[in-house]
Formats: sequence, structure tokens, C-alpha cells
Amino acid sequence: MHPNADVLQGTLDLLILKAVSLEPMHGWGISQRIQQMSSGVLEVNQGSLYPALHRVVKRGWLEASWGTSENNRRARFYRLTTAGKRQLAQETATWRLFSGAVEAILATN
Amino acid sequence: MSFLNELARRVRGRLGREPAANLGDEVRFHLDMEAQALERAGLTPDAARAEAHRKFGGVDRYTEELHDERGGRVVEWLAKDTRYAIRIARRFPAFTAIVLLTLGIAIGANTAIFSVVDTVLLRPLPFPEGDRLVLLYAQNPDKSIIRFSVSYADYLDWRKQTKGFTDIAAFASTSLSFVTGDDAQRLSGMAVTSNFFDVLGARPQFGRVFHDGDAATETDNEVILANGFWQRQFGSDSTIVGRPIKIGASVRTVIGVLPPDFSLVGNPIDAITVFTPASIPNVESHAQHMLSVVGRLRPGVALAAAQQDLSAVAARIAEANPPIAGWNANVFLVRDELVRGLKNPLFVLLAAAGLVLLIGCINVANLLLTRSALREREVALRQALGASRVRLVSQLLVESALLAIGGALLGLIIAKLTLRVILRVAPTGLLPGTIGLNARVLGFALGLAALTTIVVGLWPALSVTRLRLARSLRDGGRSSSGGVRTLRTRRSLVVAETSLALVLLICAGLVLQSLQRMLGVDPGFQPDHVVAMRVSLSGPRYNDTTQVQFFRDLQSRLEGRGGIDAVAAANTAPISAGGINAPIRLIGMPARAGEKLMGPTTAITPGYFRTLGMRLVGGRDIAWSDGRPMLVVNESAARRYWPGQNAIGKHIAFGDRDTIGLEVVGVVVDAHVRGLTTDAPAMIYMAYEGAARIARTMTIVARGRGDVGAVVATTKQAVREIDPALPLYNAQSVTQIIEQSMGQPRLNTILLSFFALVAVVLAVIGIYGVVSYSVTQRTQEIGVRMALGARQNDVLRLVLREGAALAAIGVAIGVVGAFVATPLIRSWLFGIERTDAPTIIVTAVGLVMTALAASYLPARRASKVDPLVAMRGD
Repeated sequence: MHPNADVLQGTLDLLILKAVSLEPMHGWGISQRIQQMSSGVLEVNQGSLYPALHRVVKRGWLEASWGTSENNRRARFYRLTTAGKRQLAQETATWRLFSGAVEAILATN
Repeated sequence: MSFLNELARRVRGRLGREPAANLGDEVRFHLDMEAQALERAGLTPDAARAEAHRKFGGVDRYTEELHDERGGRVVEWLAKDTRYAIRIARRFPAFTAIVLLTLGIAIGANTAIFSVVDTVLLRPLPFPEGDRLVLLYAQNPDKSIIRFSVSYADYLDWRKQTKGFTDIAAFASTSLSFVTGDDAQRLSGMAVTSNFFDVLGARPQFGRVFHDGDAATETDNEVILANGFWQRQFGSDSTIVGRPIKIGASVRTVIGVLPPDFSLVGNPIDAITVFTPASIPNVESHAQHMLSVVGRLRPGVALAAAQQDLSAVAARIAEANPPIAGWNANVFLVRDELVRGLKNPLFVLLAAAGLVLLIGCINVANLLLTRSALREREVALRQALGASRVRLVSQLLVESALLAIGGALLGLIIAKLTLRVILRVAPTGLLPGTIGLNARVLGFALGLAALTTIVVGLWPALSVTRLRLARSLRDGGRSSSGGVRTLRTRRSLVVAETSLALVLLICAGLVLQSLQRMLGVDPGFQPDHVVAMRVSLSGPRYNDTTQVQFFRDLQSRLEGRGGIDAVAAANTAPISAGGINAPIRLIGMPARAGEKLMGPTTAITPGYFRTLGMRLVGGRDIAWSDGRPMLVVNESAARRYWPGQNAIGKHIAFGDRDTIGLEVVGVVVDAHVRGLTTDAPAMIYMAYEGAARIARTMTIVARGRGDVGAVVATTKQAVREIDPALPLYNAQSVTQIIEQSMGQPRLNTILLSFFALVAVVLAVIGIYGVVSYSVTQRTQEIGVRMALGARQNDVLRLVLREGAALAAIGVAIGVVGAFVATPLIRSWLFGIERTDAPTIIVTAVGLVMTALAASYLPARRASKVDPLVAMRGD
């Protein structure tokens, strides 16, 4: 098992929640949005995106429903739930704390 | 319980709103979008598609993972668990063999008994709405007669006046001779009224049957064949309909063949061969009881209501006809009548088999507990590696399911063998030969296997996976507190199975002794070397005089020929229930007011007592030269009818008008002529001349030095010399008849004893197992004791005491249990009380001793413990 799997996993969840927070999106859209928002730095491993989506839905942070995509195809859209919003806020805070701490450590000479 | 939640979630996931195909849809959508984007970026469609797949990182892996999340892997799990279980089973061959054998015997015993129950009790009658069919009888409460034949006049009046039945039909067994060429063969047939098949709702396999209102049938000499007879005699020739066959003196036309499942009320299947229209003499008398009556309850009419209606009608008839004053009528469901003698034994045997299964399950559960204790480490390790509890429990359940299914398969084989024994030991006609393993029986066996899996598997599985893994890993599963808890559980289990085994053992002991006593009964005559054969003197050739002449002829031709020493005849075979029961009056004795004497009477020819080896204690035998019919009574009759007087010279009158009566010329010893287990009744033996008119079918008895076949052949030869068209049938040695009369008690006893034996063996294995286990648990303690000065004998005693204590508690409960259970077998007992103290004491002490013997091995092992090794622990 990858030693940092948990951290990475948690991060992906956070990115997903953030990506969906503006509007409901389908899976492919989420992967594109993350890539876009990170200015192409973060490329989501698409193989782990869907298990992550599934996991997040199972935890009740996202709601999934079938709808029609921009090019008129049936697609599964994910929408942030109230619990998801709370989770996003909390995770964001945690992440800021964490990254701030790491940054502080790295900044020390 | 968390694993229940998990299970529920899995089930929801599986049945959930999203069909599995949609997952594929979502992935496909993603791939399409990606491919389009790549195309826009300048790739060819093919390349774009390939790149999209690559980026996604393996579609299969992804769907597989989701699949697993939704419980889709159950099949794979099962396959994997099964392979694992087989590997485990192979790794412990002795354990596997013991479990399979235990379950095999237990399930086999239950399956065998169930297939009998299935055929006898559960299978519906082979007629439409067969549970509305009833049998009607004459009854007489004053004479404690519950089921008696019905007179034709009664039948007609019942049919006309009762309202509870759609219709009722009458039938009577007949004896016909079937002639093919030179050979004559005796058939038992059934004379039926024309509405008989309508009442039953029976259809022919082909041809036709009689129907109500076929006025012509009685004179047309038509006959319907039973399926078995048609197969045997005519090789299933389907062109038989319309052909003439010769029955007795007349030629009859075959009009139909009945289906194979047509079986008649109260008759062994296959015994009846042909059905003829009843040519019932239009007897006016209500007192001539000669018919059986079957009826169909009107829809919506309950049995009790039909009985009430019938009783009212019968009471009116009896009132109008003084000769049948006091007679009434009874109605019973055919279904109940068929199983009257079998219900109790089958229930008891099924219960006994059930106990064996219970004991077997307890044992297997015990073994699994032991093994799962050994496997605690393995389970803990797998838990630590992330296996969920559901996963572990399901794996352990697969293991026990596999054992149970193996046991069930073995059980089916054992059941088949057991059934073969049952059918061989059962007296002819008791059980239909069609008993076998059918789909329903198979289902029953599998159901037992499933039940067993849950009973023996779930508990150990839950108990072992409940362990807290950290402690288990640390302790190595050896001296954990779980061990103490399971030891307590296991002890109670062993006590339970010991008590159950004792219940069975006591019942078996009582029944065995009963059988022994039955077989030890002195029949009062010498059955060895006596052969009985039936003959029917019917047809124009025979009348009262020629019938008597026939037997006189036969005796003079046969005695001294071919090793035959003595020949005579009687209207009933020795050891057969039934026979004539005639109202009698004692001439010259004051009749007690209102008392009607009934005298069990047998018609005999001279030499009967000599042939059967019954000693005359006074007077003489009847003789051909008597001139008028004389009587011989047995000692009981002499004592009962003329207490304190000499019976010889007294007169007994049969019927109301006779004022002189027949003279008693001899007194013979009591004999159990009507069954070994029924007391010798006060018998009257009447010279055949007096009964020739009513007894046309007689049993020839011949005492010969050769084997049965030789005696029969010689007798046949002599009969042929007198009348070539007269067949002999039902030839049997009297010892055989006695054997058969013991058939059902013997069968019951064999099965019950077998079950008891299995139960005891299992209980002893159980005691051995739990004592060994406790020795293993207490090794350290034993080491300490020995280090502190306990000697080997002390340790031996310590362990033996444990085994004895378990057995003793079990036995104490068992004795109480037996007291509750034995009323069920009251009717099986003969010459012994159900509370027979010696039986209870011997079985109880025996069981405790056996338990001690079983504890001896582990006790010896304990006493050989090296204190140093033991105290160091593990």
C-alpha cells in the first residue's frame, strides 16, 4: 500500500467537492475542472476518480442523478449536498492548516 | 450488529435503484467525452479512443472494484471459500470423516423415516379431493364394536336417507378363480356397486369403468383389471379391452384397466386384481353384515356433521328393525383409516430420528467449536489484514455448509439402505412398495442440511469472530477467556445430548424387552412344520355336503403321503385376527338379564388339534362319524361359560331360535390363535358341518416332514386329484405367519434400537471430546497440582470425575425425560411397565460407565503430564 494513500485520497475528495461546489457536474467535467482550476498542474488519475466519486456519494456528501449533458447525452451528474458543503468547509480549513504548517516548516531555514 | 448493517447495505447495493449497466454507461460517457476532446486536439478517432482508455487506466479494474463494493463478488467469494473449505477438510481427514459420518447417519435416519411418512401420511389419496372420502361402518357401542361390516339393507337406506354425502358406494372382497388353459389361479377381487368409481372419482388408464346407473353392468359379466394384474398376467397388452377372460365358471369381458396408482382403502396395493359389478343378493335383513361402504362428503359438510346425520338415520333404522337394536353407524376419513396403525409408530420413530439429528448437530457443533478455538489465531490474523466480519463468518459458514451437504449426500445413501432394511423387515402389506427417495424426500434432506449448517455453523462462526483480535493474537488463542466460556457451553451441550441419548436408550430397552417377551409367548400349539394354504370351495360343484366331503377326501388321500403326517382345515389361519364372532346362548344356564354372549368361533375339520399339536385336556376331538356338528371349547371358554362344572356334554346354541344347541364333546388347551400378543380368547371350535354354508374359503393346515414347497406340492397334487380346477393359494408355513405377525413390532424395535445406539455412540464421543478439551485447557493447572504433590491417580480421578459428573447430570435429566416420553410408546410395550425400574437403572448406570470409559483416555493423558513442561506453558 502506498504510504501516503490516505492523504492523497483525502485530497482527491476535497478537490472533487470543490469542483462540484459551483454547479452539478458529471465525472468527466469534474476531471476537466480540476485540471483547469489547477492550471493543468493536477491531472486527476481518471481510474481513481470514479471510485472516489462513489465513495463520496456513499458518505452522503454528493448526490448523483442522471441528466442530459451539454451535447445531449445521458450523463450522471453529481451535486453537493448540505453535508457536502459542511464537509468542504471543514476540509478546506483542515487543508489550510495542514498546508500552512507544512509551508511554515519548509520556510524555516 | 455492525455486520448486519453491512449486510443490509450490500443487499441494498445489489437491489438498489441503479442497475449495474448504468455504471458502465457512466464510464462509457466519460471515455466518449475524453475521446472527443482528444479528437479536437488533433488525434485520429482511433488514436483518441485508445488514448482515452489508457488515461482512464483500465476500465475493467474500475468496474471490478465497483462490483466488489456492491456485493457482486459473492459468487467469487463462494468459489474461493469452497476451495478453501475443501482444503481445510482435506487437512483434517479424521475430523472431516467423523463429522460427515455423524451428519450422514443423522440425516439418513431422518430421511428414511421421512420417506415412509411422506408416502404413508403425506401423500394425498390418488383420487380427486381424496380428503373428502370416508368409510362408513356399522357400530355397536354395547359390544364395543367400532368398525363392522354393513348390511346391504343398511347401505341402501343410508344412501337414500343421509344428507351429508354426495354419494356412498358398497364393495366386498371376493375370491375368484382365474382359469388359463389347464391352470387355475386364485384371485382376490372386489365386487363393487356401479357407482363405486364415481364416488372415488377414479378414471381408468384406458377403457372404461362402471358408472352409476349402468343398469346393464351387473348382468353383462364385465370386469375391470387392476394395473398390476394387467401387467403381470397380460404383459401390459393394451388390446385387452373387449377381450373375454375366464373367471370361475363364467366368461367376462374386460372393459377397462385402472391406473397404477389406484390403491384401495384398507387393502395392500396389488392384492386386488379384478373388479366385478356387485351381484349382491337383495337381502332384506339389516342384520347380515357383509359389505364395506365408502362415501364422499358433500362439499361444505364437515365430518362431524356427516357423522351426526348418519347416526340419526342409523338410529331410526335400528328402531324400526328389532334384530339390529343397539346398532348404529360410524364414519371415518379414508385418509385417517389408512394410517391408523402407523401414525403412532411413525411419529415416535420420526421423533427418535429427530433426537438423533439433534444429538448429531450438538456433536458437530462441539467439534467445530473445538476447531474454531484452534483457528482463533488464523481468524484474528485475517481480521487484522482487513477481512470483514461478514467475510469471515460467511467463510466459516461455507465450511459447515459443505460438511452438511456432504453429510446429506451420505445421508441419502444411508437412507436408501435403511429403507431397504425397513421394507424387508416390514410385514407384507404394511407399507406400500412405492416408498423411495423422491424429489420431496430429497428436498427434505437438503432442508435438514441447511438447518444443520445454521445450527452447527453459525454459532461457532459468530463466537470465534467475536474475539477481540489483539488479545487473541497475544494469547495465541490457547488460554484466552473465550476458552473458558466455550468450555461451559460445551459442557451444557454434552449434558443435553447425554440426556437425550438416555431417553432413547430407555425407550429402546423397554421395546426390546417387549419384543423378547412377545417372541417368548407360548402359542399353545406347535407351529413348526405346519403349512397353511387357502382354498375356496365355490361354484356349482360345492354345497354343504360336498364341501365336507372334500376335506374328508383330502385327509384320507394326503395323510401318510409324501411325509405328511396330519391334515385338517379351519376357516381362519392360525395367528390371524378376525374370524367368526357369533352370538351364542348357553343351554340350561340362566341368561343374565340383558347380556348377549358373543362367542369367537372357528370352524374346523377332525384332526385339526392333532395337526397343530394342541392337546385335548378332556373329552374327544370331533369326528367325521359324528352325524351332527359337535363342539370343542378351550379351557378359557369352559371356565368362563360353566365355572366349576364339566363342560363336556353341555350345549351351546347359535342364534335365537335353536333351543337344543350343539353338544360340547371335548376341551382343548388355550392357544393364541388370534395373535400372539392378544390373550387367548374363550374359543369355540365347531365341526365344519355346522358352518359349511358361511365358510366356503378354508385354510388347509398340513404337518409334514419336508420343506414348505414339498408339502404344498404334495397337497396340490392331492387337491388336483379331487378337483382339477381348484387352486390353492397363500401357502405359508405357520412359523412364517407368526414371524409376520411380529413384523411390525420387530421393525419398530430394530429402528428404535438403532437410533438409540447411534445416540449413545454420539453422546459418548461428545463426552470424550469435551473432557479432552478440558484437559488441554487445564494442562497448566494440572502441572501446578502435580508440582504441589498430586499423584498420577489424583489427576486421573480429577478428570474422570469431570466425565462422570457430566454423564450423571445428563442421566438425571434423561430419566425425567424418559418419564415424559415413554407414554408415546405405551402401545409398543408388552409384558413390561413403562417405568420398569431395572431397565431404567441398567441403562442409566450403563451410560455413566460408558462415559467413564470414554473419559479414561484423556484422563490418562492428563496423568502423564510433565509438571515442568506444563507449568512453563506455551
